[in-house]
Amino acid sequence: MTSDTAAPVLSVEGYSLDYLTAKGPFHALKNISLSIGAGEIVGLVGESGSGKSSLAWSIMRYLPGNAHEVSGTIRFDGSDLMARSNSEIEAIRGKRISMVFQDPATSLNPTLSLGRQISEVLIRHQGLSKKQAWAEAEARLAHVGLKTPAQMMHRYPHEASGGEKQRVVIATAFACNPELIIFDEPTTALDVITSRQILELFQSLQQETGVASLYISHDLALVASTAHRVSVINRGEIVEQGKVGEIFTRPQDPYTKKLIAAVPDPSVRLAGSEPDYAAKPLAEVENVSVIYGRKPFFGRFSKKAGNHVTGNRAVNLAIQPGEILGIVGESGSGKSTLAKAMTGLNKFEGEIRFEGRPIHSIADMSDSYRRDVQIIFQHPDASLNPRKTIGDILSRPYRLYTEYSGKAMRDEISRLLEQVKLPASYAARYPHQLSGGEKQRVAIARAFASQPKLVICDEITSALDVSVQASVIELLMELREEFGTAYLFITHDLNLVRQIAHRIAVMYRGDLIEIAPTRDITAPQRAAYTRQLLEAVPVPVARSAP
Amino acid sequence: MSASYLTKRVALIFYTLLIVSLIVFAMTQILPADAAVMMLGENATEEALAALREQMGLNNPVWTQYLHWIAGVFQGDFGTSLRTGLSVGPVMVEALSRSLLLALFSICLMLFIAVPLGILAAVRRGKIVDMAVSLISYVGVSLPEFVTATLALLFLADRWKLLPPTGYVPLTENFWDGVAHLIMPAAVISIILVAHVSRMVRSEMVDVLHTDYIRAARLKGLSSRQVLWGHALRNALLPTITIVALDVGYLLGGVIVVEEIFAIPGIGRQLIIAIQARDLPSIQAGVLIMAATYCVVNFIADILYSLLDKRIQYD
Amino acid sequence: MTDFIKRLMRSPQGAIGTIIVLLVLVAVAFGPYLAPHDPEAMSILARFKGPSADFLLGTDQYGRDIFSRLMIGARSTVIMAVVATLIGTVVGALVGVTSAFLGGRADEVIMRTVDAVMSIPSLLFALIIVNLLGSSDINALLAVSIAFAPGMARISRAVALSARKQDFVSAAIARGEKPNFIVLSEMLPNTVAPIIVEMTIRVSFAIMLFATLSFLGLGAQPPSEEWGLMVSEARRYMHISSWILVWPSLAIALVAIGFNLLGDGLRDVLNPKT
Repeated sequence: MTSDTAAPVLSVEGYSLDYLTAKGPFHALKNISLSIGAGEIVGLVGESGSGKSSLAWSIMRYLPGNAHEVSGTIRFDGSDLMARSNSEIEAIRGKRISMVFQDPATSLNPTLSLGRQISEVLIRHQGLSKKQAWAEAEARLAHVGLKTPAQMMHRYPHEASGGEKQRVVIATAFACNPELIIFDEPTTALDVITSRQILELFQSLQQETGVASLYISHDLALVASTAHRVSVINRGEIVEQGKVGEIFTRPQDPYTKKLIAAVPDPSVRLAGSEPDYAAKPLAEVENVSVIYGRKPFFGRFSKKAGNHVTGNRAVNLAIQPGEILGIVGESGSGKSTLAKAMTGLNKFEGEIRFEGRPIHSIADMSDSYRRDVQIIFQHPDASLNPRKTIGDILSRPYRLYTEYSGKAMRDEISRLLEQVKLPASYAARYPHQLSGGEKQRVAIARAFASQPKLVICDEITSALDVSVQASVIELLMELREEFGTAYLFITHDLNLVRQIAHRIAVMYRGDLIEIAPTRDITAPQRAAYTRQLLEAVPVPVARSAP
Repeated sequence: MSASYLTKRVALIFYTLLIVSLIVFAMTQILPADAAVMMLGENATEEALAALREQMGLNNPVWTQYLHWIAGVFQGDFGTSLRTGLSVGPVMVEALSRSLLLALFSICLMLFIAVPLGILAAVRRGKIVDMAVSLISYVGVSLPEFVTATLALLFLADRWKLLPPTGYVPLTENFWDGVAHLIMPAAVISIILVAHVSRMVRSEMVDVLHTDYIRAARLKGLSSRQVLWGHALRNALLPTITIVALDVGYLLGGVIVVEEIFAIPGIGRQLIIAIQARDLPSIQAGVLIMAATYCVVNFIADILYSLLDKRIQYD
Repeated sequence: MTDFIKRLMRSPQGAIGTIIVLLVLVAVAFGPYLAPHDPEAMSILARFKGPSADFLLGTDQYGRDIFSRLMIGARSTVIMAVVATLIGTVVGALVGVTSAFLGGRADEVIMRTVDAVMSIPSLLFALIIVNLLGSSDINALLAVSIAFAPGMARISRAVALSARKQDFVSAAIARGEKPNFIVLSEMLPNTVAPIIVEMTIRVSFAIMLFATLSFLGLGAQPPSEEWGLMVSEARRYMHISSWILVWPSLAIALVAIGFNLLGDGLRDVLNPKT
């Protein structure tokens, strides 16, 4: 596919970009060189803050006022984009270079019909009349696999699903047959199965049109399965680039190596010793249902109607002491609702038994239950009180569940911090002075202060970068080795859960579909939905590594 | 929007008016002097007072008096003014019509100035224009109506003779003279509202201009003008409807002061007179009518909003 | 604390607002000592004088020094506004936080009632209360406090509800913390900041409201130096001298602007996002 002889569609050479801030210039991009040939897909992989989006804005010539282009050129179709005037750029955007964004829920205007939003591009760039553009747009929507394009044209964004909206965004990007499309994490905001479908759509449209594509993602596995060539970007620098196969099998740069090693690979098991399934279960959930009640009157401005929302329907499961039970499902499947019910944050019907003691309501949750069952949340920013020091935050479980106080407690907190691999001096800091990964370690420390028997992890790594995620998982596994803690590990990341869980529970729209031992999760007798989920997940890249 | 929502919304108006009527009635009960003394004066004979009390039902328990009054209100009978002896309802309704004219004039004037000002400030964010608008709005929001009204009278009418001073001329009588008499009062009322609403429009607009969908529109190759008019304006102005409706409460307060200063015989002036004369039936009627106006305006705003914003679904 | 002041002074609103409010507070505290003339000393010969070296802002209809009168009047004007706002805020915050804490039907009834009270314009509310109870400082204070409470209740409820939804509160509940710890230690520190900001801005409204009450003859009574009353009294003589009208008007506006600016400055500083 790659034609090395022909001039590239896009070529960035020695490009550096600074953002001028009150604290001096921030070097967002350093000496970037990158080219994309006709028909080629180039992947750009990096973690948050690596500058991958900045590069996209530079190419689109959409930079904030404090951006300062230090050096280099950006050439598109042989001519210098940086030298173009504002109106020339406006004529190129959407017509010759277009873009697909991360979240279709926010990248479509909520008060304009989908039809208007795609046809306006055709009116602007193709000179079509309103009527012609509308008809053409409808044909474009049909082309991206929307079943009822005529109706879809008249719908508003809130009346379409995430997948449908992203199809509209993609149709808009392809509408004027551009020469280059930048895809900025186009599947990150979507559920597993939908994102698989969107990816397939992208691949077929790309093959059909041969458009040069820059595919930006944090997801190595995804890029490996889509791109021809890949560039790895770290702190504004491209540390390595080359053919996909070469980079993933023989990475040269230490950062690339670290990144590839951090990607969850189901074939590399981290779970540790199997629990004793003959033993009495630690916790049992029997026919637990959560029904979110009537919306209060002042909630009438809510986006969607619907009075009774079921969070969970009669869920049954059991966790053995020391077991890691993974719970997977798409958003809205009720996996977090279950976590909330088990920690007294949601009312529930049914019975929870902990070490044989029955619990029927929040009032039945005794202090010892609270001590033994801890929860860690997804966003460490939100789960740590911003106005308290780390020391204060960690002192609460000691005050609640133990006799420690004064110096003895401070010593315990220092020990705890060291256990989660943070310096003891962090006790005096505030949450905002810590990085995301460090904050999540504090949240883990808080959960482990009481030496609980069961820790519920609610998507605790999904807000973290992949390398940080790997170190947090490593920490969790070490803590389990030491304390024999059981985990209820809720996640949407199937590869990760297959690495660490002993058994996996699959949930779908409030129902528990099935529970299966991890080694049997790929077996053909699994439920159809489970198989669908697994098929949708991209093949991990490191599998072929030596 | 469902029928059940409408029913609920109307029920809410009645609940509000019920609470307001209770508050107003309770307030008038704490008055040290009684209504009979007020009507007949300090020198009235005991017999005359007793007879009047009996006639007015003042000897009945408080709650019977309340029920009697509220029952009358439902039939459109707000009682008889203690000051003039006239029926309160028609007087108040006529006064209200003049006040509504003034209020409407003020709102139009305000929107005409505030919306472009807010948009301009948002589009030129951080530039001189933005700072100027922000300065205007700080000054505007800090000037009480009586200050601006007095200064306006001093300079515009008294010194420079640009506009007629106080007074009210019905539009039906002499249209242009009527309008000329309305300009100064309306301008005074709108100053604080302009300051407030332009700030709100600015901040809504700034938020909208930072959304992903505006960026997406720019990156589709639309010009700044197309993005502003086609994509941003509608989304930024929708919340303004709610803000303006809530500001009507403040506006009604402004109407009271302005009518007093400019001698406009509206409901505000009626209320001041009634309050000064402790004319209970007039006070009760005036407050109830003002609260009802506020409720109805907000009701209309809610409906308008839901018609314009497809996302909102009332249940 | 020093860091806090530094950040407040960095924004133009915060800096100007702080300076104005500090100047006003100086006038409130030391006004009587700083006033160059006796504010009640009348002089037939020195009526309606323009600004001069002796009478900084000129004299009024009785020949009293306007600057001195403003310095003395700062006390009644500003202290009343601050106290009334404080009372209104405390009452409103109690109602709002309680309502948010109770939730469900109780919350709905309380908030609908608060909405109902808000449908009466606060000026009208204050006018009626003052008139019915008799015009005095205490009654005016009471009236403005009551008029402010519903608005503060709405705001505190919204703030409390958003704090209630935070994960760190969920974490505290899941941990088994007592309700009063959750409210006092987890929620309160995160709700105080927005309430303080709102309160600061409302002080300027209170100043305007008191002045309006005095102007309409239902607040302070002559010969008080209350600024609204000064404007009201000056109205009759504005044809002779506009100074006596302009100065107290400017004083009211300046103090209101000061508190408005300070409120916006505090909002920027107290926002944890910045």
